[in-house]
Amino acid sequence: MNDNELATVVRDSVTGIHAATPVNQIISRGRTVRARRRIPGAAAVMAVAAGAVLAVTMLATPSHPASRPTAQLAAWTVAKQSNGDIDVTINQLRNPAGLQATLRADGLPVNVSFTGPPLTASCQPLPATKDLLANLAHFHPGDQSAILVIHPAALPDGAGISIFDRPGLQPPPQAKGLFPLSVGLVQASQQCTGS
Amino acid sequence: MDFAEFYRRSADECLRTVLLSVGDQDTARELVDEAFARAWASWRTVSRHPAPKAWVVRTALNLNVSRWRRSRREVSVPDPGTVADLSGMSGTSASFVDPQIMAAVMRLPARQRQVVALRLVLDLDTGRTAEVLGIAPGTVMAHLGRAMAALRSDLQTERQQETRS
Repeated sequence: MNDNELATVVRDSVTGIHAATPVNQIISRGRTVRARRRIPGAAAVMAVAAGAVLAVTMLATPSHPASRPTAQLAAWTVAKQSNGDIDVTINQLRNPAGLQATLRADGLPVNVSFTGPPLTASCQPLPATKDLLANLAHFHPGDQSAILVIHPAALPDGAGISIFDRPGLQPPPQAKGLFPLSVGLVQASQQCTGS
Repeated sequence: MDFAEFYRRSADECLRTVLLSVGDQDTARELVDEAFARAWASWRTVSRHPAPKAWVVRTALNLNVSRWRRSRREVSVPDPGTVADLSGMSGTSASFVDPQIMAAVMRLPARQRQVVALRLVLDLDTGRTAEVLGIAPGTVMAHLGRAMAALRSDLQTERQQETRS
């Protein structure tokens, strides 16, 4: 069986599956979703305590071409401070692999994704209190960027840090034009965090 | 294109893609319905997305991760035997899935399943698949190569066993 035949077999295996939900029902649910986003107070910082993992969510300015400064701006920059803290300035959600490699080179066990949270089974989330996450990392909104300050010393043994955006999570209308960025704890491993 | 037209054209493909990724029809339907509802709520953005179907699938997969986190359980990989057994349930929609292929897909690691689903069912190219999954294009190709080799071996073994019996 060659690749084309195998691909056809896989495709055909699910062709009997059809979406059965009427579009009106989808739209009705969509109206509820939209209405919930308009609840006052949902704007600004969104603290997400999603089960065992992430708690820090911050809205940062987008990488819209019209809002870019005239000078060439790197998508992100990393600066290690003398006290061990790592400052990450994010101007655009681009080149997550490069950011991840740079942070790992600074000794940080980290996983970076700009297309949603890491989905691999090798990236297991770890429980973390809001206090722990607040000690570990915090965001400062900049003019055209988000500045993430990471305190590696606050990282528990065996834990790594996960930085990701949430493309499926639209910011509330009050925060139109901003993107949500989140940080959380994951189990450190070669596959997930590089060490 | 208005939302209703997009839904009519894309819902089946998105559902099949998510089904191959998560392995459970009920879960896949819930995730895809919710993802389309969110697409409607953000239609101005989604309609301008270069690959709206990929947006829906990515959202559905994110929702699945959120569910998993809420329940504080590991990402569940359905037991292949369970999936295969569904074929015996006459009168259910599960009978429309080829149980042998589905079981073989479910034996793949999660990431390989996602690559197979996005590349083969949703027909995304390597670059778009890499964007959706947040991995490098080379990694997509490597996952696809390994997945195809594993599926081929798995299915050939099963067919040889069937021939012997």
